Amino acid sequence: MPDGLDGELLERFVQGDQAAFESLFRQFEADVYRWIVRIVRDRSAADDVLVEAFWRAYRGRARFDPTRSFGAWMRRIASNAALDHLRAARTRAGWRTADDRIPSAPPPDRAIEESIAQAFRSLPPRLQIVATLALVEEQPYAEIAEALDLPVGTIKSRVFRATRLLRKKLARLGITP
Amino acid sequence: MTDDRQLSHLLRTALPSVDVPEPSRDLWPDIVQRAGTRERLSAADVSVAAIVVIALLLFPQWFWFLAYHL
Repeated sequence: MPDGLDGELLERFVQGDQAAFESLFRQFEADVYRWIVRIVRDRSAADDVLVEAFWRAYRGRARFDPTRSFGAWMRRIASNAALDHLRAARTRAGWRTADDRIPSAPPPDRAIEESIAQAFRSLPPRLQIVATLALVEEQPYAEIAEALDLPVGTIKSRVFRATRLLRKKLARLGITP
Repeated sequence: MTDDRQLSHLLRTALPSVDVPEPSRDLWPDIVQRAGTRERLSAADVSVAAIVVIALLLFPQWFWFLAYHL
């Protein structure tokens, strides 16, 4: 078995055995959680995304091939759940009304960092997730491609597009890396 | 330092890594609770159902066509 898991455990999971599912959850929870935190960069959001990811895995268990890696499959589901979270967060940010409480002005260095973070978060979610993993977390392209179930070429092109878009956004803010 | 490296460095400064090894609490009960609740119908499901019902009311002869394709 690819993850060193008992094949019978995976078969039981596919058949809907809750004890097998819990056993898999306990074994993969920390790894999946760390992956999610890298993408969403927020602890409480990561908790929600983790629950959503394992729930989606349980719901889609019939589609899992027990001869394949459970960890890789779970990471793909977690990446999609994290991407949906980024999309929802972006929509919520867009709906904020003008009378939202505005925080007091931060000091200059912090203000630049916040501008950069804001520009980054305004990237389209499918570019943001790739840019986070490639540029911030420095994950290998092959690993990102596997987690997002995309070809490596697509990841490279998305990193390129994210970089170009981010440079434009930063240039508008007067920041030129 | 190349432009891409500079950009990467800038991003890592602005978006510091969140070093959290595990969830703040046991999330298994949340998953069990989620699994126990019935899935709500999505807006898309409701729309498709409504379209099918309206189509059948207007064109009852489509029944076998829809029965075959849905």
